[in-house]
Amino acid sequence: MSLPQSLRTSVTPPELELIASEQLVEIIPLVSMERTAFISGAYGPLRPPTKCKIPLWMATNLKLKKKCHIVPPDWLNVEFLQERLARETSQPEFSQLPFRFAEVAKVLLDVASDDLQNPDKLRFLLKDLREARQAKSRDGLDKLDHSELSLPNLSSMEINEIRPFFVRSMGILTQLVREPSAGLADTS
Amino acid sequence: MDNDYFSIDSILAENQKIQCTFKFDIPDMGHLGGGNERDIKALSKISIPMWLAYIMLYSDWADFVIPTPFGARVRNALKAEARSVRLSSLVGAGGLWYGFGKMIMDILDDAQAKEISDVLTKAFRGRLIEVIDQAQHFAALGPSGGGGPTGDSAQAFREGLDGTERELFALAQESAKRTKRWYEDSDKGRRS
Repeated sequence: MSLPQSLRTSVTPPELELIASEQLVEIIPLVSMERTAFISGAYGPLRPPTKCKIPLWMATNLKLKKKCHIVPPDWLNVEFLQERLARETSQPEFSQLPFRFAEVAKVLLDVASDDLQNPDKLRFLLKDLREARQAKSRDGLDKLDHSELSLPNLSSMEINEIRPFFVRSMGILTQLVREPSAGLADTS
Repeated sequence: MDNDYFSIDSILAENQKIQCTFKFDIPDMGHLGGGNERDIKALSKISIPMWLAYIMLYSDWADFVIPTPFGARVRNALKAEARSVRLSSLVGAGGLWYGFGKMIMDILDDAQAKEISDVLTKAFRGRLIEVIDQAQHFAALGPSGGGGPTGDSAQAFREGLDGTERELFALAQESAKRTKRWYEDSDKGRRS
């Protein structure tokens, strides 16, 4: 294969960010624009101050040109994340969060921190969440099995991080575990 | 670890010797034992490489004993604390303890194979978390921080990793590093 080693095992985080950028976010436009057709679909028309849903990549672009305010999604606020963090630390399973919350949160915190309330606090909460969830996926490693693995509510970024070595370890376990059925066939 | 003909790992894992007891006289092959004798006598014990041992064992010319890396002493040590066993010193530098074990497992009869499989699986599970933990720790250190506040036992563990575990270590480290880099760099410059 001609792909460099680092790209063979899994998707890279920037690629995941790119995928997440297709998600729709609400904005308050500051400029007006006709309905415009893009490859992924037609968006608009933008009529300030009416809210409008456009893809994240377009929102970041407009935001950087100061042509819109981004309305943060309903999960990206201090109360919600605090509640999730409390749940995360008190319960054994992963708490429910949007599948691509890490990517969307990072993009919004990067480009539109002035549209968010208390962005520093949000950063801390997201970091705490990430660490709490990481500890859980580490525990999941303990229960690793050669045939199946179920980690519900894991987000895309987290799956991507653990994929290379989880997959490899499961492959190794498959080799090492002797199937009881094969054993029975031998003795009979 | 797979028995694929083209698998480099499996070729490397075959590069281990096991002790065989010959059942027959084999003429003109004494040089294999490294001695000066012309023939291999029946009941003599000779260590031969795994790749050669297959044909000997399957043709029933020789019997073998379970090699020391999987002997009772190692098993007991693994049972006591899997993380304190230096697998790499059992099979030589860059050796594949699990791969070798898998090969031994495949030529044993069922009950013994099950036993070896249990030993291998338990050892792997017991050590896996430590491997990943250390890999993630090293990923977090960044490019310059080489040593860090790691104890002697952690270092001894790292030196004792077998080839398969090393590979896992590298995978986990690379992935953790990559994700960390993404979380940390604020790429406003790239966007604007």
